[in-house]
Amino acid sequence: VSSAAPTGEDLGAPPRRGGNPLLTVLLRRQEASVVVVAVALIIYFEVVSDFLAPGNVVTISQYVAAPTIVAIGEVLLLVSGQIDLSVGSVFVLAPFLMHYAIDFYGVPAIPAIVLALLVCGVIGLVNGFVTVVLEVPSFITTLGMLFAIQGFTLTTSHAYPAEIPAKAAGLATVLGHGDWSELVWALALVLIFQVVLSYTRWGLHTVAVGGNPVGAREAGIRSGRILMGNFVLASVLGGFAGVLEAFRVNTISPPTGDQTLMFTAISAAVIGGTALAGGSGTIIGALLGAVVLGVLKDGFNLIGLNAYTFDLILGLAILLAMISNVRLDKLRKAGRR
Amino acid sequence: MTNRVDPAVEEALDTVPLPNVARRRLLSGAGLASASLAASALVAACSKNSNSGGAGDFASTPKWKFTFVNHVTTNPFFVPTQYGMQDAAALLGLAKPQWTGSENSNVGEMVSATNTAVSAKSDGLAIAVVDLKAFTDPVDKALSAGIPVVSYNADGSASDPGTARLGYIGQDLFTSGTELGKRIVASVDSGEVVGFIATPGSLNIQPRIDGAKQAIQQSGKSLKFTQVASGATVQDELSTIDAYVQGHPNLKGIFAVDAGSTQGVAQTVAKYKLKDKGVACGGFDLVPETLKAINTGSLDFTIDQQPYLQGFLPVLYLYLYKMSGGLQQPPDTNTGLLFVTKDNVKPYLSTKTRFEGSSTKQQLVGRSGAIKGTK
Repeated sequence: VSSAAPTGEDLGAPPRRGGNPLLTVLLRRQEASVVVVAVALIIYFEVVSDFLAPGNVVTISQYVAAPTIVAIGEVLLLVSGQIDLSVGSVFVLAPFLMHYAIDFYGVPAIPAIVLALLVCGVIGLVNGFVTVVLEVPSFITTLGMLFAIQGFTLTTSHAYPAEIPAKAAGLATVLGHGDWSELVWALALVLIFQVVLSYTRWGLHTVAVGGNPVGAREAGIRSGRILMGNFVLASVLGGFAGVLEAFRVNTISPPTGDQTLMFTAISAAVIGGTALAGGSGTIIGALLGAVVLGVLKDGFNLIGLNAYTFDLILGLAILLAMISNVRLDKLRKAGRR
Repeated sequence: MTNRVDPAVEEALDTVPLPNVARRRLLSGAGLASASLAASALVAACSKNSNSGGAGDFASTPKWKFTFVNHVTTNPFFVPTQYGMQDAAALLGLAKPQWTGSENSNVGEMVSATNTAVSAKSDGLAIAVVDLKAFTDPVDKALSAGIPVVSYNADGSASDPGTARLGYIGQDLFTSGTELGKRIVASVDSGEVVGFIATPGSLNIQPRIDGAKQAIQQSGKSLKFTQVASGATVQDELSTIDAYVQGHPNLKGIFAVDAGSTQGVAQTVAKYKLKDKGVACGGFDLVPETLKAINTGSLDFTIDQQPYLQGFLPVLYLYLYKMSGGLQQPPDTNTGLLFVTKDNVKPYLSTKTRFEGSSTKQQLVGRSGAIKGTK
């Protein structure tokens, strides 16, 4: 195997020590393997099409942004050993809440958005309460919440799409409608929450609670508060992503039973190296996972795949990306020993 | 003198239908007219030679690839639409069009798919405009990039198409509703009539029930028309309809404006043998249960919106638009006011075709008998 740049051929290379610095970085950094997969995909699509044309880069960023924001909350929860399946329903509900507040109750635009996110926070709090205090596994708690909220949105909206309230139209450019605004929000939130996860007490406690619940409790960590807080964050982030998407698409769509976004976000977190069992994961990894998925979705659309084959190829591509990712991860761990 | 004529001119003249006398006079070079005629024939012949390779008599074109953006890409209703677009593309020697969008009416995904198609410099777009505002910008973007856009199957609301698309190919939803209303008025004189709708407010079915209401009002008959939401899944719809019918024994007419509810109406009418009581009933679309019910007489009619044409015609229109340099504008085309009744349901049941999405096979479907009264 050549010792040049890390290409796909290096995936099966045995761990090298002290040799190529690039390879060393690749083996040491947790997220490096996802970067390799993402770069390889981008190179592939650029070769077969005009992938990096400016217009298309904007579209890719829009494929990436919303799942990234939702994935931030999922990483926090997954790291602390929990999951939130209801976030997709919250995502749909939040812009409707904004619409109700503005158009039915005359609330000004910005307070209306804050109000909508507060309600999302309360939903997260209920998720946390049922999980922590009533001790229902979060998978079940949030599954119930998924349907309950979807039903609430359907009932209150009469399943009818709503327009972005005229009063809020001035915020559109900043809140998702501008070409790059969604991505800027996503990157800013990734940065903030990566710092929170890596360098604050909250973040360290989150990892501790997920990695070793009993030990964390014995060490005096108030794990209930940490978990509830992370449920609230996940819901608020989900709601915020929903508001951004509503502004981007310029319409508020009723739920259609579609949970694609929630699955995309959880996949992004897991592809980015977050353990489903809890205790480890990074927000930047989730961003990279979302980039891999966004590149795949946009790229396959760009080269003109049809909907039926699209699902087939997308599924296989996710598997392939994940297998390379896991293999690289094993190499990385072997190299560290 | 004739043998001094260039063989190319000789050959070109063979393409011009002329009586022999004229032909001889032309070849002998008599008169100014003959020269111009020869010249034009020559030009025609040459241009035909240089452009052979296009579909039929058309000039050759690049293998244009069109993109269809759909709201429910894997829904069986749209299988014939996909066959239609593929068949039209094959007929015209084009690349197989791309079928993309969302599996679950996710408007965000549809917008992204549209934007990607613009980045990919698609040769033409056909979009199911299921949302009034979401497609305004993407369609403008495509049109500014020189990509022609038509809408199919759904086209915003009755009063506002929601985009600057060149034309719409699909059912005129409101008109189809008024046609339904006229049928209702024709078959029921007075009393209670119910209209079921899966999800009120949905842009691809609400205009139908609005149209029906209007037609009933305008008729001046004393019908009591009630709109009832039946639910989003076929199971919900059947239960709702069954319960409603049991609770309203005096119903004179039972109608529906979406495929699932129509099937539910058919099954309920059969279950309680309501045709024996003279209840009128009908609905929309051609799912197998509905067709069977029409054949057995438990449903009076269903309205076919011909999904095959909603794939075939957009390709044809986009092709002509590009071929003519924009001179041939895609016209709004109503694909859907075909009433299927017991008289004409047989072919739908006895043959499996690409036109109904029930077969992948290309075949010539024979028919016989008079055509009168089948529409």
